[in-house]
Amino acid sequence: MKKKRKDLTLTEDTIPETEVPESSQKEEAMQKKTGKLRSKDPKRKAKDTVSDDGVLRPVKLSKKELYKAPTVEELNQLKEAENLFHCSLLKMQMEELLKEVALSEHRKKLVDSFVQQVTEFLDCVPESEVMELNDVSWLSRVEVPFFLVPAAATGKFHMEAPASVSLVGSYPLGTCIKPRVCVDLAVIIPSSVLHPMDAINQRYPRKRALYLAGLAQHLSFLKAVGSMSYSCLHGNRLRPVLLVKPSGKDGDKVTLRIHAIPPPDFLKPSRFHPRKNNVKTEWFTGVAKEEQGAAGPATPHYNSTVLGDHLPLSHLQFLSAVSAQCPAFREGVALLKVWLRHRELDQGAGCFCGFHASMLMAYLLSTHKVGKTMNAYQLFRNALHFLASTDLTENGITLAKNPDSKAPALPEFHAAFSVVFVDPSGHLNLLAEMTTFTYKQIQHEASLSLKFWDDPTVDGFQTLLMTPKSMIRTYDNVFQLGELVKLQASCKKLSLLNELMDHSGNYVQTALPFILSLLKRGLGERIHLLVHSLPPDPEWSVKSPPPKHKDQSPLNIGLLLNLEHALSVLERGPPADNPKAAEFRQLWGSRSELRRFQDGAITEAVLWSGSSACDKRLVLLEIITHLLHLHADIPHSCVRFVGGQLDDVIKVNKELCTTGEEESLKVVQSYDDLSRKLWQLEGLPLSITSVQGAHQALRYTQVFPPVPVRLDYSFFDRKKNHLGLVPREDKPCPTYITPIKVIVHMEGSGKWPSEQLAIRHIKAAFHICLGELLTKHHNYKCHAKPNYVDVWKDGLAFRVEVAYHREPHILRESLTPEGMLIYRDNAEAQALELETQHKPFLTSTLHGLQQQHGCFGAVCRLAKRWLASQFLLEDVREEAADLIVASLFLHPAPFTPPSSPQVGFLRFLHLLSSFDWKNNPLIVNLNGKLTVADTTDIKNEFVSSRESLPTMFIASPNDKKVSIWTKKVPSVQMLQRAVMLAAESLRVLENQLIDSSQKQDVRVVFRPPLDAYDVLIHLIPQQVPLLAKAVDAPALSFQQGTFKGEPATSGGALPVIDYNPVQLYLSELRDAFGDLALFFHDPFGGTVIAVLWKPNAFEPRPFKTSLMNARRVEMNGDVATVVPNVEAILQDFRIIGEGLVKKLELRTEKWVV
Amino acid sequence: MAPSANKDACVIPGGFTVLSLRFSEDDSAAALHQVCVKEHRVRSESNTHRPADRTLFVLNVPPYCTQSVLSGVFSRFGVVESVDVCVKPGAADSSASGVCELFRVQEPQCFRVAYVVFRSAASVNAAKRHPLHDPLIASTAERPVRTGLRKWIQQYSGSLVKASSLQAAVDQFMEEFDTRKQQEAERLQQEAEQQQEDEEGWVKVTKGSRGAKARPHTETANQRTLQKEEKKKQRKELLNFYSWQHRNTQREHIAELRKKFEEDKQRIAVLRAQRKFKPY
Repeated sequence: MKKKRKDLTLTEDTIPETEVPESSQKEEAMQKKTGKLRSKDPKRKAKDTVSDDGVLRPVKLSKKELYKAPTVEELNQLKEAENLFHCSLLKMQMEELLKEVALSEHRKKLVDSFVQQVTEFLDCVPESEVMELNDVSWLSRVEVPFFLVPAAATGKFHMEAPASVSLVGSYPLGTCIKPRVCVDLAVIIPSSVLHPMDAINQRYPRKRALYLAGLAQHLSFLKAVGSMSYSCLHGNRLRPVLLVKPSGKDGDKVTLRIHAIPPPDFLKPSRFHPRKNNVKTEWFTGVAKEEQGAAGPATPHYNSTVLGDHLPLSHLQFLSAVSAQCPAFREGVALLKVWLRHRELDQGAGCFCGFHASMLMAYLLSTHKVGKTMNAYQLFRNALHFLASTDLTENGITLAKNPDSKAPALPEFHAAFSVVFVDPSGHLNLLAEMTTFTYKQIQHEASLSLKFWDDPTVDGFQTLLMTPKSMIRTYDNVFQLGELVKLQASCKKLSLLNELMDHSGNYVQTALPFILSLLKRGLGERIHLLVHSLPPDPEWSVKSPPPKHKDQSPLNIGLLLNLEHALSVLERGPPADNPKAAEFRQLWGSRSELRRFQDGAITEAVLWSGSSACDKRLVLLEIITHLLHLHADIPHSCVRFVGGQLDDVIKVNKELCTTGEEESLKVVQSYDDLSRKLWQLEGLPLSITSVQGAHQALRYTQVFPPVPVRLDYSFFDRKKNHLGLVPREDKPCPTYITPIKVIVHMEGSGKWPSEQLAIRHIKAAFHICLGELLTKHHNYKCHAKPNYVDVWKDGLAFRVEVAYHREPHILRESLTPEGMLIYRDNAEAQALELETQHKPFLTSTLHGLQQQHGCFGAVCRLAKRWLASQFLLEDVREEAADLIVASLFLHPAPFTPPSSPQVGFLRFLHLLSSFDWKNNPLIVNLNGKLTVADTTDIKNEFVSSRESLPTMFIASPNDKKVSIWTKKVPSVQMLQRAVMLAAESLRVLENQLIDSSQKQDVRVVFRPPLDAYDVLIHLIPQQVPLLAKAVDAPALSFQQGTFKGEPATSGGALPVIDYNPVQLYLSELRDAFGDLALFFHDPFGGTVIAVLWKPNAFEPRPFKTSLMNARRVEMNGDVATVVPNVEAILQDFRIIGEGLVKKLELRTEKWVV
Repeated sequence: MAPSANKDACVIPGGFTVLSLRFSEDDSAAALHQVCVKEHRVRSESNTHRPADRTLFVLNVPPYCTQSVLSGVFSRFGVVESVDVCVKPGAADSSASGVCELFRVQEPQCFRVAYVVFRSAASVNAAKRHPLHDPLIASTAERPVRTGLRKWIQQYSGSLVKASSLQAAVDQFMEEFDTRKQQEAERLQQEAEQQQEDEEGWVKVTKGSRGAKARPHTETANQRTLQKEEKKKQRKELLNFYSWQHRNTQREHIAELRKKFEEDKQRIAVLRAQRKFKPY
């Protein structure tokens, strides 16, 4: 032990890292943990545990390390980590996160010095003359941050040095976190400027704004001030604030937010009772009313605004007192703030900001819902629990211990506001501006978060505190309300004059709750949740007038759909004689009509248009535009639907406007029929034990599902013996008929031979037999081949393959010289197993998933369409892509399972681009078959044998260790490229979707960048069978040997099945030149094959018989070397693809060394 | 290129002569493939199909040069008896030879090697002396090579087979297979008979490799027995009976916690290195 001590002391200063014996390093690490020894150099700490490349390696501890006697401290620490957190990992993660968001000492110094400077400078504001309130001529360098509407105002105003300047808000409390460090500075307006009657008719807010403008004018002389702008607190135009940034390079590090507030007890809080009126109607409208005497309508929002200005100092006092009692208070609030920020809830009008979070925590502490000794994680969790379980829209809470007699009671608050959380004074509702919908959103998020946190298979920290939930990625459908000026008309239509007055003319804020509840009523059970984006805080330069209400960015309304009802075209109302019928008619207006239903009932009903799934996705848009137009006078053009833009790229039938759901269903139905008929076949030597689909179309995930075709026989040659049709050289390529693979397992029997070749022959015999029986009984055209039998049925081609369950075992068997039968895995057996066992299993499992989640198939198809168009589908195989998409539905954290194709696709791109493929396996818990222990096992196994596993590792219940679908591809480079492309596509797509002013062309992300490739092989479009499915639909159209109309269910000639010249060409190219170049192609109608030379292909190699392929000899003295014979290879591209290749385009001259 | 040649032929170290190959004759400007040839000489191989003196070993055969094309190309040096094209140099795969064409696994269409057997040895030498600048022609008017669309259409058309011919192939194979099986069974029976006592009570003992073990034993069966024994052992053992056992379990528990702690620490370090704690 002594010797070790010596070692240790040495490592501290002299010996470089590498020479230290490992055991002592570990020892050091152990001691660091127990808190005895602190490493002085932070870099070193990272070094001894992380491998250089950021890959997790299995931890190896020596026996001595593991079994040495524990100290009491260490035991405590380990126990705490185990008991309080799920594991020590979470604890450490939280600590790291808090470290990351906390302000550094340097930053704090910067803030303090800047605040000091500003405060000192503010103290010497010169006094000015007294002038009329509406006289703003004295301001020369700045504008007033206030709408002076109505212009009439009485009162006097003059500038004077502030009574005092003090820090308020999160910074002095210690809950201020990065980024956007915002320090609140309260400047108290001297009472001589104000008048006791200022509370009414916006006189006080105007004075406040003028005072702020005066401060801004004064501050513009201070050198340390970099830039100044106005904003307003939580979007409330009555409470402008001045944002001041320091000059120089620190400008973006800190923002000083200057509030002008009255002296704390200037006005009596009882004047601002929610039922009192403080804005006179005559003044606001400018029209004198005849009847006097009545107090006028209550102005609760205006009241709480003015009252709120009186209280910042006392709130700070209150919170400081609370936080002094509870050591983890600050960290708990910081966590809550991070959580809120990821959900975009902490900013804008009606937000739940950091101040509210602190107040909530204080409430929990004061009501003993949390203990004072709890740690940050527990505080955070309890806060979420409280939010999830308490409905503040029904049962408000109050922080006031013993409110004075004049303070309003909770019911009075509830009558005036939708969400109630009363501050310690008992007079102010802290959440006055919040809508019911925002609070419901918070509740939803909180309960969702708790659910994920309790699920041990979900990485709660990562999903809840590290993943941003932007609106467009979170909600199934997003509707954008543009041209907000139209809301003025809706205020009129909804007769909201009093509310408008209360909100001081902010018609957006006024109309919003009414519009939302209207929509909520109309959408009813179609949706789970309706939320809206919070109107952002405007920010404008001090030299320009405040922006108008209509200038703010569009309002987003997000919906979480309930797919059971969401897309139904029928809205069934009450029976005609029911009193509710009038209500229904009032809601739907002229669209409501009496209908008689099959069950005999005659009810009011509204019928929306839409026949295909693609059309039905637009029903919600129709409902929303109708309701808004009818009740709020908002024209159709104002509503923009974000959610259907991507449907275009997977449209199967352009005329009927279907995106494949109907076609897939037809294929599955036809397959079910075939399956039944196969089961019923009589006369087979062995009976059938199972019929399983093994094709993507049978799990609804084929990008373009096969469509039944009716053939034009004259388009083809016929083979002489009438076996089937044959394509003709002089015609364009016939339409591609996808063979839909079906695996038929035959019963085991002693008669099966135990030799592979013989089994293959027997299977061929079965194929012939099946074909003959199907032809005989059902008149299907069949064609038997050694490996399968094609069945032509309903205009679709099914490829039936007979399988024998023992065949893979037989392939694995071999005999040792001692005569022992051993099993050795080999590629052939694995391939067979993949085809006959794994594929059918995956197909049936995902078919089940589609039944649970209606848009699974559509998301898969979008994802695969994207992969294909970016030339990635051959690297991320179809099955792998399906599994990745399945994981979005099975493990949606922190979201809910997607219910619209578009949101699913966005999340697919996000997952692909942000998942840490290097260090984590993607676990897809199909059918919920994996237990928690299984998941841990998979993770451990993964870490311990990372190097030998595929780059993209996807584990599922039947495949825990191998990741069969990604075993060979993608390579590291291709995965890298996929990740990069996904990130870029996501960025472009989201920008376009959220911002309607950008050029709207979602196909941009489906067009591959071609500049990276060396050679482009352009194909003759007529010979590309799937040309019509290309991303940019071709202008030319030509016959492909089909008629329109319903195909015959049986009989006819055997069509050309599975004939795709492009694929044949590609496979020949890859066979011949695969070691020199990579070939990329979009299988869905791509007319270009992109060729990329392999980076090391052009190095001269020594001459060898095994290394001569496609190369030419060069002599350097006596040594013969070989280099690729590029000219001949290019020539071969043309020769091999004769009749298909249009031209070669050479992009680089890389081969000229 | 520096031809270390006799006359015009381009001979490179290793004894190969480089010939050039053009796809079709009407395209004189086109780029040429280089084909390396050498007489076939392998010590170990005593294959009668490839007599050492008359066989030409050809390297870098383009994918469109099939057996028939090659025999046409090399017929300019003399009468070609047979051509053998394969993916890798070496003896021909004998297992595939007996199988009907329908059941053969399709070979990749890559650059391959070929063994061209001439009728006379002189042809081999003629080929080896052929100059580089006079290219061989693969596709001529008399024997055109089909590539591209025409080839694929032909392929597709060829892939349509009658059920009856397929059935015939299957029947033939199965007949052969059955007779082979029967022969084997008979042989086994004979062996078994030999091991039985004759009338006088004598047993003939042979030393055959498969010995007298009657039951076929497999790896899985072996493992199963081992597992069974292991289980038996475990059942007899008592858990937490002695105090040292109890101590051990506790020690293991702490060790487990420690190990987990270390793992988590490493994980954090990796994440920190990737700057994964920046929430925004």
